[in-house]
Amino acid sequence: MIYIIVSLSLYAVIMAVLSFIGYRKTKSTSDYLLAGREIHPIIMAVSYGATFISTSAIVGFGGAAGQFGMGLLWLTVLNILVGVLIAFIVFGKKTREIGHKLGTNTMPELLSQRFDSRFMQGYAGLLIFLFMPIYASAVLKGIVDYVAKYTGANFDVILIVLSVLSAVFVIMGGLKGIMFADAFNGAIMFAGMAFLIIYTYSLLGGVNEAHEALTRLPDMSGVKEQTDGLVKGGFSGWTSMPKMGTPVWWNIVSTLVAGVGIGVLAQPQLSVKFMTVKSGRELNRAVLSGGIFILFMTGVAFTVGALSNVSFYNETGEIAIKAAGANDAIIPSFIKMFLPDWFGGIFLVVLMAAGISTLNALVHSMGTALGRDFLKQSLKLKTNTVKLTRIAMGIGLVISAILTWLSGKLDVSMAIIAIGTSLFYGLCAATFLPTYIAALFIKKFPKKAALASMISGSAISLFWLFFVQEKTAGSLQICKMLFGTTSIVKGTALNTFSMVDAIVIALPLSVITGMIAWAIIGNVRESEPAGVLNSAG
Amino acid sequence: MLGLPDVSIWLAYVLSIGGAVLCVIYGIVHWNKD
Repeated sequence: MIYIIVSLSLYAVIMAVLSFIGYRKTKSTSDYLLAGREIHPIIMAVSYGATFISTSAIVGFGGAAGQFGMGLLWLTVLNILVGVLIAFIVFGKKTREIGHKLGTNTMPELLSQRFDSRFMQGYAGLLIFLFMPIYASAVLKGIVDYVAKYTGANFDVILIVLSVLSAVFVIMGGLKGIMFADAFNGAIMFAGMAFLIIYTYSLLGGVNEAHEALTRLPDMSGVKEQTDGLVKGGFSGWTSMPKMGTPVWWNIVSTLVAGVGIGVLAQPQLSVKFMTVKSGRELNRAVLSGGIFILFMTGVAFTVGALSNVSFYNETGEIAIKAAGANDAIIPSFIKMFLPDWFGGIFLVVLMAAGISTLNALVHSMGTALGRDFLKQSLKLKTNTVKLTRIAMGIGLVISAILTWLSGKLDVSMAIIAIGTSLFYGLCAATFLPTYIAALFIKKFPKKAALASMISGSAISLFWLFFVQEKTAGSLQICKMLFGTTSIVKGTALNTFSMVDAIVIALPLSVITGMIAWAIIGNVRESEPAGVLNSAG
Repeated sequence: MLGLPDVSIWLAYVLSIGGAVLCVIYGIVHWNKD
């Protein structure tokens, strides 16, 4: 217990100091919204990574790897190739270049300036502000759950303390304070995860020996009985992919490709980071540390999650999911049982750092979405941007905390953390990705086609999330209140659709709508204001 | 084969590390390019 108290106190003090430094160095609106556009590339890369990776990525997905095996490593491959290489080199450079040229501070502002549409900025800002709290509450719940489990403290008390701390950090320090704190959080996360993988492999006798032991595990005595249910779903061992087309296979592949793999490209809280460096050269340099950082986050979590089965079996005769009791408990139980005592306190801080860094970025994005994009730029309020943004951050954080408190009252068996995350990723991809790509790369794309794509993408994915996709519609409860069922296609000939992720339907339809509108309206003519980027787009 | 008999898992393991190495090489090669 003493380790936990010392580590948490040290962590809180350092975070407060960093936030204060950010506050002292913030002189202008651009400092507050964009950290002055002169952030060091390594800080930018680590900040991007620390925002991308939340507690749920380590505990939730690590636990999933404990259950389903190392096939989840394909998500790490996508995270690095799409989430870092393509995101930084293809999207990042263009976003930074156009963002600087047009003097934009947020992703909705970049889209609206590029297409010369005030409505677009207000619509995008409002949509982000309304739905990001669901993602933020999932992140917040991830931290609170873990701290409550580890320290035995009350859920509601931890929730209030964490929300107040986050409010102080973000509202005081702005993006400069957040990015300094991110670098610190990222360093803690990196060191903790590096120790975890080295210790786990040495515990099991080396890399090859560990993998071989995991490969042999399904044939060990007593394991077959425990994996019966999983095998029926398509599971065929922790070091092989599940059988194609089975529920376990769909679960892994749709989470991979749909939610996190593609959704990452259109996240407002991530794309704003590209605008914080001063030239494309910094983004080249950021790629260097970005890839390694992500490898040590999800790559380590998935590998350790899967390998934990060997340790649990050797010690208790049970596989990880049986020994830990639940998916989300696999990583925490593994740490508690097999790693040194002092590491328990450190790992708690690692998870705090992962959660807080993501939460801070979300609170900042919610604040700029309502304060800057909707109230200041779209409705033209007279109050200054920083003041509006600070008030909006407070409102966004309070809504997120209330949602977290409510989700604490829901049935614990619902994977509310993973659902909240994939819901927001899917909504952003369908709403913003086609327009974002057009804004960056298609000079002749007309404003009305961009609006058609955004509005149809958001409307279709919201309809799908609230009424069709059983995983989300079931936990959002609105479908049940209106129609008395968890999905409107459940039990009908279209039942398969209730398992399909919203992004699989809404993103293609959003692209098609934009293309049809483009074909009808035709290219932007040189004289039209939407050609504001003729020199750059 | 790193103790991973299934090719698709072996490939995911190698590509994860390979992807991170690729990022490092890209960063070094383009260190001063804009």
